[in-house]
Order: sequence, then structure tokens, then C-alpha cells
Amino acid sequence: MTKIYGEAETKVTALDNVSFSIKKGEFVLIVGSSGSGKSTLLNMIGLLDKPTQGKVLVDGFDTSNLTDNEISAFRNEKLGFVFQFSNLLADLTVLENVLLPSQIQLDSPTDDKAKEVLEKVGLSDQLFKRANKISGGQAQRAAIARGLVNNPTVVLADEPTGNLDSVTAKNIVELMKRMARDLGQTFIVVTHDRSQFGEVDRIITIKDGRAFEGEYQTEMEVVV
Amino acid sequence: MLVNKKGSLIGAVLAVSIGILVINVNSVIFQGIYDAIIRDMSDYRFGDIYVYDEERSTIQKSDIVLINWFERIPNVEAATPRLEGSATAETRIAGQEHEKFNVPVLGVDPISDIRTSTIHETVGEGQYVYARNSIVVGESVASDLGGCSQTGFFMSGGTDPTVTGDSGQDECQPVRVGDNVKLIITDQWGIDQKKRFIVTGISGTAGGQGFDRSVIIHIDTLRDMLDRSGESRSIMVRLQESVTPYEATQIKNQFLQAFPNDNLKAETIEESAESTLSGFRSGIAMINLIGYFGMMSSAFAILTIQMMLVNSKTKEIGIMRAIGARRKDILIIFIMQGMIIGTVGAGVGSAMGLGYTTYAKVTKMEFQGSLALEVNYNWQKIGETAFLAFILAVIASIYPSYRATKKQPVEAMRTV
Repeated sequence: MTKIYGEAETKVTALDNVSFSIKKGEFVLIVGSSGSGKSTLLNMIGLLDKPTQGKVLVDGFDTSNLTDNEISAFRNEKLGFVFQFSNLLADLTVLENVLLPSQIQLDSPTDDKAKEVLEKVGLSDQLFKRANKISGGQAQRAAIARGLVNNPTVVLADEPTGNLDSVTAKNIVELMKRMARDLGQTFIVVTHDRSQFGEVDRIITIKDGRAFEGEYQTEMEVVV
Repeated sequence: MLVNKKGSLIGAVLAVSIGILVINVNSVIFQGIYDAIIRDMSDYRFGDIYVYDEERSTIQKSDIVLINWFERIPNVEAATPRLEGSATAETRIAGQEHEKFNVPVLGVDPISDIRTSTIHETVGEGQYVYARNSIVVGESVASDLGGCSQTGFFMSGGTDPTVTGDSGQDECQPVRVGDNVKLIITDQWGIDQKKRFIVTGISGTAGGQGFDRSVIIHIDTLRDMLDRSGESRSIMVRLQESVTPYEATQIKNQFLQAFPNDNLKAETIEESAESTLSGFRSGIAMINLIGYFGMMSSAFAILTIQMMLVNSKTKEIGIMRAIGARRKDILIIFIMQGMIIGTVGAGVGSAMGLGYTTYAKVTKMEFQGSLALEVNYNWQKIGETAFLAFILAVIASIYPSYRATKKQPVEAMRTV
């Protein structure tokens, strides 16, 4: 997959011929320094942006020929998103936020599944609090619950701990790992701080738009 | 979720409501004046159907024949003949001529006129014409015959109010019931006919719509003085209240078919009022147009507010799109918002308009403190205005909604 922004002199190659596959149930970290292209990669995988060349296959299904409506439906059914700033809708309660993906899918969803997931992420006592009235850690837990509520094929997390203190970040990492383990859920997590995540199934490093399997030895490490 | 901006929404609703209120207030005032003038024209001068001779100044055919024809129709309440002329009115104090000027004279048949017209109800002091020598004097005439001036009123042949108002202040004594008034009328042969009358009543109408500047006498007396025995200037016909304008036109047409060779012309009140009020109606149309421009301004306000909402909710739109909302879903959210603004705005505006209409009706609102407005609940117009406001609110929401759907999730989510 290649992604190029701009044209001619302003051309920037954000992703350069990146290709890899991820197995079901894997917890994958995509690491790299700021501006390396890891968020761009996640946007491509999440069908939020289109690659200049190449395609994304999910469960063997080629997503490159989907219409805009089909992409929306695909994102809703097959993909879960966790963003850096949780991105909950501030005016809604925690429960309403978690219900949103299923509301888009169904005309009259029940809230049983949402409550179940919220219980798993430890927010069963915060259901009716407004999203702007809970802490950053709780908001990120709610965001994870929202990402899981439709039983997606893959959960994509973009710097999910980037806005949290170290203790809360550790809890969120533990939560995601536990969800992956308990639910057999595939997680693709983008982070610039690999150290927070400890042991994971797999690491892909992005450097200058290129992907490397495993942890890339940085120049500093070579010098040391 | 995407629309929770209470201040903006209340602003949008108010914009719609005020637009509707302006139209309703305009309607109550200007349509009220228009209808009041028609009401008074119908009640005092033209009835529901007005018959006159197309070529001559008077109807030659016997009024009894014409009135009998009308009164045999079940939808007709009553009909009455009227005759008009002009006279020189004269008052004397202690044998000396006090005031003398020309006045229009209306001749009525007291018995049938009371059934056909409500002009007798305008007699505030004394009573209506009841004998051959009784005269009802219009309020302005009474004042002028007494040498009193009325601000802003000047009668042809009368005194200059700016002069008599000052110099005649001490002698000012309006004509009252029981006073004598002499009328000098020139008959059809050019001979002056003089007759002394006893004032039996003073007539005054709001807004001067009646015969404030005329005198009213018995029709037979006027016929005698004009030497026009059995002639009438017009026949005024009153229909039952339930009669529609269409039915009135049918009765008018039947009448004209019944008397094809008498040069008679008949008009419904709408036709009679047409020439008098066509300019006024243009004014109402212009006022309504201003109201509708106001409503268009409301639509622009909604457009602006919706654009503002879309811009302020860009990030939320991005989140919704990221978690799977289709463009159509976003479009529906903002269109729905426009529909809610339109519905609530139309409801509130119509309620305020109805409130104002009720206030005007209950308090018998008057124009310039004299002409009582004819206030009616025009449900069709209220409904049309509310519906138009609703449609405009929805139309005004289309472009902002479309803009919302065009936002790309990744870029939208970057918005702070």
C-alpha cells in the first residue's frame, strides 16, 4: 500500500509500498516516531482514507471497490475505533456513546450489549454520566467499549494512551490486552511509546513510510 | 448529539416565530382595517347588493316592484330604496342667520332602512328619522352648523375651521336634538324648495365611515323637494348572513335577468368596494410582501445558524462518520433539525399570532382610536403561513446539511 500526499514539488510519500497481514486475534503494535506514517497507515486500514496504490483486505474481502455507503457500513460492522482523545460525544451519556455504533446499524437497538461491554471495561456505575463529566481514563474505557460493542473484526486504536498519565495509561493497556485475550479480539494499536505495552503478539515498525517487522533498531540504539 | 446548541436553536426558532408573528400582526391590523371598511360600506351604504341606474341619476322603476322582487327570495333579509341629493343647510339664532353651507342629503325609508342598514345604530343622541319633517344630522354637520370647527375637517361651502375655531369659540354651540334646521334644495327644474326640519338625532360613526358629514331625511320628503316622485337613487339589499359571495353573485345575476330593459346595474359588495379599496388592497399586498420578506430573512437566519452548527460540530460529524454513519445519516440529522426548528417555530409563531388576534378581538382594537377593526381567525391563512415557514426552515437547512455530509472523517476529527 502506498499513500502519497500532494503533487510534483510538494509530493510527500507518507507510506511507501507497505504490505503485511495480521492474523485473527493478534494484538499488534504499530510503532514509530512522530510523522513516520503510522497514523496514516491506521487510517488506511480503517478505511478512513484511501491509499494512492494498493488495497486493504479484511477477512479476505477486498475493500478497494466499496462505495461510500458500503465503506460506512463496513466500518460500522467490521471495524472498531479507539482514538487518542477518546472522541466521545460530550453531550451524550456514556451509555448513549457506546450505543451509537449499534444505533447506526439498527433502527431500535437494545442497550443490553452496550451495558455488557461497559461492565467489562469497568464502567457499569457510570452509564448515565455525561461523557464530559468523566475522567480521561474513564472516557478512554468508554471509547474502548464503543469500539467493541458491534463485535468488530478488528479494533483500531490510534495512540489510545497518548493523552493519559502513566498509571491510567497502564490500566488502559491492561484493559485492551484483557479484552483481546478474553474476547479473542484482534487489536491494531498505533503508539509512539512502545514501552507502555510490554509484551504483545507482534510489532510492526514504521519508519519514513516503510514498514518493518519487529522493533526497528534506532540509530541511537546502534550507537549505544 | 450533533445538534445540541440550545442558544442557536432557540435563536433559529425565534427567527421563524417572529417572521410568522409579523405576518399575523400585519394581517390583523391591515386586513382588519380593510374588512372594517368593507363592513361599514356594506352596513351603511351598499348593503350586500347595490342596485342603481347605469345611465340616469335615479332609478325610474318603482322601488316597490324592485324591493318586492328581492324580498321574495329566501336568502334576502331586506331591501330599501335610497335617494341622494345636496342642500344648503341653514341655522338661525335669535332670527339671525348663524351658519349656512352645503351638505349632502340622504333620503331613507325609515321602516325598511332599519332592516337593511345599521346606519340607524350610529345615532348616538336622539333617534333615527321617523317622520316626514325629522332630520338626523351628522356629527360634523352638527358641529359646523353650530359654528364649531373640528380639527382637520373642512366642508365644502362651510366655514374655514381655522378661522371659526378661534373667532367663533364663544358662539360655538353644536346643533342638538330638538333644534331647527332649514334645508334649501334645488329641484330637478331648478327651483329652490325650502323646508324646516326638527333635528331628531345626531349620527356619528367611527372613522367617518357613515354619514357624519351628511344629513338624513325621509325619502318621500326628499322626493317631494326634488320633485322626483317614486324615484330612487339606489336599492340597497341585505342578504342573510349565511349567504356566500358566490350565492350573492347568483342573486345579482338573477335580478339583472329579471329586469333586462331597465338599464339597471347591480353590484355585490365586493364589486362596489373594488374601486374604493383596490389601492388599499395593493397596500395590504405590499405589507404582506414585507412580511414574507421577513420570513425569507428568517430562512437566511436559519441557514446561517445551521452553517454555524455544522461548523461547530465538525469533529462530532467526523466521529459519527468514523464509526459508520453514512452521509445520508448526517444529512437526515441536520434536515431533521431544520424540520424541528420549522415545526416549533411555526407552532410558537402561530400561537403568538393567534394570541395577538385574540387580544385584538377581545379588546375590540381600533384603528387610530375610532375604526373598530374587523378581526377574524383566518385559519387558512394561519395554516398557510405556518406551512410556508416550515418549508422555508427545511429548505434553509438543506445546504448546511449537504455541507455536513461532505466532511471527510479524518479531517473532520482533527478539528478542535
